[in-house]
Amino acid sequence: MGGYRPGEWVGVLEHEDVLYAAILPDGPIAILDGIAGLIWIEACEGPAGTLVERIATATGAEPQSIRAHVESFVDDLVRRRLLVAGEG
Amino acid sequence: MDESQVSVPLPVRLRFGHAAVQRVADQVGVDLLHIKGASVDPSLRPGAYSGSDVDVLVRPSGVVVLDRALRAHGWQLYSTFEHGSPFGHAQTYLHPAWGYIDIHRYFPGIRLDPDGAFDVFWADRHRIEIAGVGCDVPSVTAQAVLLVLNAARSAKGARVDVVTVWHDADDARRDEMLQLVGRLHADVAFAAAAGGLERYRNDREYRLWKVVSGGGSRAAEWWARIRAAPDTRAALRIVMRAPLVNVDHLAHRLGRTPTRGDIVVEFLRRPVFAVVEAVRSAIRRVGPRRVVR
Repeated sequence: MGGYRPGEWVGVLEHEDVLYAAILPDGPIAILDGIAGLIWIEACEGPAGTLVERIATATGAEPQSIRAHVESFVDDLVRRRLLVAGEG
Repeated sequence: MDESQVSVPLPVRLRFGHAAVQRVADQVGVDLLHIKGASVDPSLRPGAYSGSDVDVLVRPSGVVVLDRALRAHGWQLYSTFEHGSPFGHAQTYLHPAWGYIDIHRYFPGIRLDPDGAFDVFWADRHRIEIAGVGCDVPSVTAQAVLLVLNAARSAKGARVDVVTVWHDADDARRDEMLQLVGRLHADVAFAAAAGGLERYRNDREYRLWKVVSGGGSRAAEWWARIRAAPDTRAALRIVMRAPLVNVDHLAHRLGRTPTRGDIVVEFLRRPVFAVVEAVRSAIRRVGPRRVVR
């Protein structure tokens, strides 16, 4: 299964170690600070099936303790059209 | 995830603003060039200053279409070409997410006709990426010229750009800039910022750029504008416009749409200001005692 990519009309910026994403040209701007930025990057750079495990490895958390939060967050980004599911 | 626009740093909002206006321009097929601020080549702005707004130069024939498209996408008109600046060159919009944007239909100091000047810039453009969106910018030489022309309208203390892009430039870059200044017929304004304005003492625009770059009363600036007008009709237009109330500025000062009464009061107040300015000017010229008498 493939990962995710920014939506067609989404612009992404990095400023002082914080990621920002916005649907252009209407907005608004989403602030992806800390763990949120890590999830965005991992979602766009690897397969969706192992996303939770990769985040768990990067943060030292147990996968089962963060799974619901990570999946809910990614679902929210998809619902907002900031992320779209990649080709699988 | 937080969507509070308040906590989004200004440089981020401005870069998104460049990308957003480019998207709108692409959608409606309007040519525009990103100038100043975040779009400036890093070699010309070592300090990475991104400005306080987004500035774009629009092909003049596309201004009406872009205006309509911006409003449809949430930009609100903040000040008009007529009232935004005495040069009438730019119109300002405000967007809740991206902040302020200035749409330039021409650039003050350039005497080549606006369509011709845009073509000159457009011919040597290149594309940079801002927030993942391809944005057209003028050549680096053209950006340098625009920064100097922009500085010509600033107070003397705000001319860091001139030092970087002109005084610190090597001979080859200076030659390129001067050639472009010649093609744009922008010699007088350029000299007002870069030095050598006195060479243009007999030019009709000399006084205007002297006042604009060096400071002076509003009355002196209006006189200079009238003298700089290319023909009688243009001069008369300036004369007719001078005593009118700037409704945009008045609205921003009051924080609401001015009533007819507000405009009348402002109209009557302005000549008083002009008299005060004239008195101040006389004091500066001849000393206070003479005026007191």
